Amino acid sequence: MEDRFLEFVKFDLQIIALSVFALLYALKVYQLMKLPWPKEMGPRRGSEELGVVYSFAWLFFPWSMSSTTQHLGRWVEFALYHLGAGAAILGTFTIPFWPAIMTRPVSLTMAVLVIGGFIVGAIKLARRILAPELRVVSTPDDYFSLAAVEVFFFFTAMALITEARGWMIAYFLITAAFLFYVPFSKISHYVYWFFARVFFGLRYGRRGIIAGKKA
Amino acid sequence: MEEQKTLVEQAKEELEKRFSRTLAVAASNLCVHCGLCVDQCHYFVATRDPHISPVAKAEQVRRVVKAEHDWLRRIFPWWTGAKELTEEDLDKWVEAAFRNCSMCQRCVVNCPLGVDTPLVLATARGVLTAVGKAPEILVQLADAAIAREENLEFFKDFYLEQIKELEAELQKKVGDPEARIPVDVEGARFLYVPLSGAHTIMPAAEIFYHAGESWTLSMFEAANYGIFLNDPVRSKRITERIIREAERLKVQEIIITECGHAYAVSRWEAPKWFKDQPWNFRVRSILEVMDEYIQTGRIQVDPARNPFSVTYHDSCNLGRNSGLFDEPRRILAACVEDFREMTPNRERNYCCGGGGGLVAIPEWQDIRLEAGKPKADQIRATGAEAVVASCDNCRHQLGEINEHYGLNVRVMGMAELVANAIVPKNGKK
Repeated sequence: MEDRFLEFVKFDLQIIALSVFALLYALKVYQLMKLPWPKEMGPRRGSEELGVVYSFAWLFFPWSMSSTTQHLGRWVEFALYHLGAGAAILGTFTIPFWPAIMTRPVSLTMAVLVIGGFIVGAIKLARRILAPELRVVSTPDDYFSLAAVEVFFFFTAMALITEARGWMIAYFLITAAFLFYVPFSKISHYVYWFFARVFFGLRYGRRGIIAGKKA
Repeated sequence: MEEQKTLVEQAKEELEKRFSRTLAVAASNLCVHCGLCVDQCHYFVATRDPHISPVAKAEQVRRVVKAEHDWLRRIFPWWTGAKELTEEDLDKWVEAAFRNCSMCQRCVVNCPLGVDTPLVLATARGVLTAVGKAPEILVQLADAAIAREENLEFFKDFYLEQIKELEAELQKKVGDPEARIPVDVEGARFLYVPLSGAHTIMPAAEIFYHAGESWTLSMFEAANYGIFLNDPVRSKRITERIIREAERLKVQEIIITECGHAYAVSRWEAPKWFKDQPWNFRVRSILEVMDEYIQTGRIQVDPARNPFSVTYHDSCNLGRNSGLFDEPRRILAACVEDFREMTPNRERNYCCGGGGGLVAIPEWQDIRLEAGKPKADQIRATGAEAVVASCDNCRHQLGEINEHYGLNVRVMGMAELVANAIVPKNGKK
């Protein structure tokens, strides 16, 4: 009976949650694509295509922006946090669908990444509570989303380290709950991020502000 | 009879009209409130006030957009901060969008996510203009430019008389009684569009004279206050006068004087408003023309004629909004002996504090000067004797912060500097 429950949360529930998640995102993107898009029309000074490439690449080069140059620690936090999130999400696929790859060293490496994300998450939460410039713009969703990711990280790490049934069930239940919540929260920023970087690259590339000027 | 709409209803309607794909993204959950933009804003750097950081300013508008478009708006609006618009909010928007933001775009290039905060605040400006809450002086300045077109005959004689006086001055300066400041010359290569005031005509006229350029003025000037209001109707009307003049005079190029917003409007925004694209002429800044003259040897310059140290202020509209970074630097390399870069510079440069129309609003001089502190610190750190800016609004603001912070520098335009450096082909000067 209990094994069947684990199987259910590991496979069926994940597929249901992922389907709802994908459907909601498809709806989000559809709503966005229906809106008018005021495109740049001025003759090109630079390359839009290169602009888009640079726009996405900037994120990976902390020296490309004053904000990340001045706050290199924040960029490192960002990298660790998203590596942790990547590992935690990856686990939701590899554990049920590709168990052969989840050897002990792989599980522990992923756990280390997730713990790194967890520590950074705690720092982010503390900063949001303590820093006045963040407090004035924070909504309940800001605090809850950070806390929810912390819970997700915690259960992921425990599942990866112990590989115990109980932690696994908790991990997959949390994952499913997470998938249902994410499209409504600020965690969905990554969907908009893709569009924002494209818009930025097109505009700043065409105008020759980034990615060099066309002769 | 249709019931009269309240101010809030009108504002919401205007906001909906402006709800585009780019705004939807900028006003969505894209912003995670990470705060990395906070100390990239010259207002925050100068005041340390958390309420006027880019994210805090944009959030005031974003919350209202969320009240209309966020999925949780009906069930738990408070959860994402969604908020129904009130008249009091509109007053706060005036502060956030007009007083506490110069539209410099420094926050956008420094946002890891690419949140277009100036777009959000510019939208608020447009909404406020539509409901009559924009600063009156900006509306008056935009309307005055439109009125000039409607009363052209009234202005024409006076304008031509002034140009004649400047022409006499030019002839004296270049030592040639045949030197001209042409007006309304059909078939000229350039239509040069100055601002009101001889300082934007004389140095350019001298440069064109030495380059042997075929150019003309028309009756209109470049300033476009409609863009500060984010009012496409006024902006288009003001720009249209210049476009139609270029067509009437059959010029090959419109050359915009040293004015950041006028260049950005003509070069980048106007093409979105007119259907008759592409035009038979191109739009360039006088900066690009001076650079071309120097690089091709069409004018000779001697850096020893500007024997003082110079730093350059990248106008946000020319640099971060239009990509003119290399042209001014090549000109400076040729025209001055001692050029000192500010830190940071180019797309990372700080706004002088006078952008976005702020320089025209006397009642906000206090915050404008306070927000100019990072720029004052940048200039002081170079130890330069002169600061060059290729934007008239920037020069006005730099002049004020020069006095306010006791910088003791000379504030100059690039054309003035180039005109100083010219070695006349006839050897006279």
